[in-house]
Amino acid sequence: MASGDRIDYVFKVVLIGDSAVGKSQILSRFARDEFSLDSKATIGVEFQTRTVLIEHKSVKAQIWDTAGQERYRAVTSAYYRGALGAMLVYDITKRQTFEHIPRWLEELRSHADKNLVIMMIGNKTDLEDDRAVPMEDAKEFAQKEGLFFLETSALQAVNVEMAFLTVLTEIFNIIIKKNLAADSNANNSVPSLEGKKILIPGPAQIIPAKKGMCCT
Amino acid sequence: MSLKRTALDRLGFFFIGSEASKTSASISDSGPDGGEELEMLQVVGFGPQIVREVDMEIHGWYDTELVFKTLDKTVPPMITKEFSGLASIESNDGKWSNLEFELSQKVIDLDRLQWMANYGLPDGGGLRATTWKLLLGYLPAARDSWEADLANNRSKYFALKEEELLNPSTLTQRYETSPSNKLESVNDVIGFLRRNKISTGDHPLSLSKASVWHQFFENTEIVEQIDRDVQRTHPSMKFFSGDSSVGQKNQMAMRSILHLFAKLNPAIGYVQGMNEVLAPLFYIFSMDSDEKNALHAEADSYACFVRLLSDSVDHFCKHLDNSSVGIMATLSHFSQLIKLNDEELWRHLEIFNKVNPQFYAFRWITLLLTQEFEFHDVMRIWDSLLSNPLGIQEMLLRVCCAMVLCVKHELLSGDFAENLKLLQHYPPIDIEYILHVSEELIR
Repeated sequence: MASGDRIDYVFKVVLIGDSAVGKSQILSRFARDEFSLDSKATIGVEFQTRTVLIEHKSVKAQIWDTAGQERYRAVTSAYYRGALGAMLVYDITKRQTFEHIPRWLEELRSHADKNLVIMMIGNKTDLEDDRAVPMEDAKEFAQKEGLFFLETSALQAVNVEMAFLTVLTEIFNIIIKKNLAADSNANNSVPSLEGKKILIPGPAQIIPAKKGMCCT
Repeated sequence: MSLKRTALDRLGFFFIGSEASKTSASISDSGPDGGEELEMLQVVGFGPQIVREVDMEIHGWYDTELVFKTLDKTVPPMITKEFSGLASIESNDGKWSNLEFELSQKVIDLDRLQWMANYGLPDGGGLRATTWKLLLGYLPAARDSWEADLANNRSKYFALKEEELLNPSTLTQRYETSPSNKLESVNDVIGFLRRNKISTGDHPLSLSKASVWHQFFENTEIVEQIDRDVQRTHPSMKFFSGDSSVGQKNQMAMRSILHLFAKLNPAIGYVQGMNEVLAPLFYIFSMDSDEKNALHAEADSYACFVRLLSDSVDHFCKHLDNSSVGIMATLSHFSQLIKLNDEELWRHLEIFNKVNPQFYAFRWITLLLTQEFEFHDVMRIWDSLLSNPLGIQEMLLRVCCAMVLCVKHELLSGDFAENLKLLQHYPPIDIEYILHVSEELIR
């Protein structure tokens, strides 16, 4: 996917959610296409990058995987600064991790950019038999809060790619719109991101309408 | 809060608190006993020059290094990568016999023991276990009090464990029953809060921090968290893996230690990563060739874990993050150390690349490097951390600084992302070399 050394955009995305919901596994699936059975608790932050092509532009995703435990939250919230996207993860087999989502959301909204693109992820669909969070509940919540939503399995590599590409593409489109607006206004209080080129967004290929987003 | 007070009081020997004094004393100053005793012994101990004379007498301890060793032990030998290779060829027999000799003395010379341990302790047998216990101040220098001390500490541990962990309703009882009812209440049905014990106004949905129910549920959360992390502590090592009965037994012991620590130190609780810090201690103590010691690895590990954390426990406290003793202050100290030793590199990393130490050294420091290297190498690093006269934390920062300096070449040519990835996934390296560089640092 990477296109040489030229990078048109760098997007920062944070991964947050309770501990042991699979944030690090989702990241390693996306960044290195790996899944490790003996992953350790994340302390502080872990950082990975992957470059993808979106509408012929190379977009480098800088992904910050954060520790889930409450103790580390004060430290990790510092990493939200400058983030354009967030993956908000819960474990479909642990009801409590879903119930904590509003808290995480609140924290994101108080620390991160207002236009942050947020994707809620219900991970571990490979453990369907132990499901404790019905997809309908999550969908309803996502609709209410205006979040993208997908269910994933980092273990089986289901929907992880889709989740990241959706967020990255949405950010991409927002940036382009901003650039367009900035250009027509000639008023330069625009985002500090690289890439001033104007590109008319094509049909929203992989960006589903927010309301219709769900696991296939 | 009365609960906290009681718990702390009852800790006695084991107690450490977030207010633990920060002195430059070389060995844990956490407890009312061990620490003081050690300091006193250090005063009467041999100084570096005498140590050297003894070395010459008891030949064989690191002959190769004696060649480079100057009279002042604070000036390290000029080891290069090649030299360190040479040092590791140095016969294990030499290490064993000298260390064994030292440990067989009636009163162990802790200065000398520190000096020996700094060069790495032998794997296998029980020498590392005994030495670590001495360095942490868990074993007193006087050999003839070991047996009684150990027996005493071990029985204290089991009494605490029994009281705190085997009976989940302790919490209620502490509030609701008078001390005279205590014996009777120990026999209560486990796991249920008896209706008549709940004070007026307390109920399962109470959000009040003082609510027994609230604490009960919070406790369950802690237990689950510990459980998850213990299961993912070195699962690829048979010793820790839940696949075997030995592994399961070990996991159970680690769970108890962490849970007891969390209960007795409610201001700190359980913080993720503590499992990693506990693992080397528990492993080394369990592998002790002395069967009795191995059998009591759990109790000994608990006490040593407390001592090990005594000068860094504040790093685990969220509310101290921005205080002068919290992790942020330590990180800034670390950054200054890099600047002092290599301003060019510091400038490149922090000013130009914007690679804040918080992004990578946070884990290095809070977990005492346990996640950065192979388990075997962690042991070697800990030999030096525990034995450094400057103290564990000071030595830790130096090793961390050396780690940065040792990849200077790569860092200078890297950008933000490359450098952060490099430091978060530190490349395999000769540990002796890093330790050598850490001793050479300006401070």
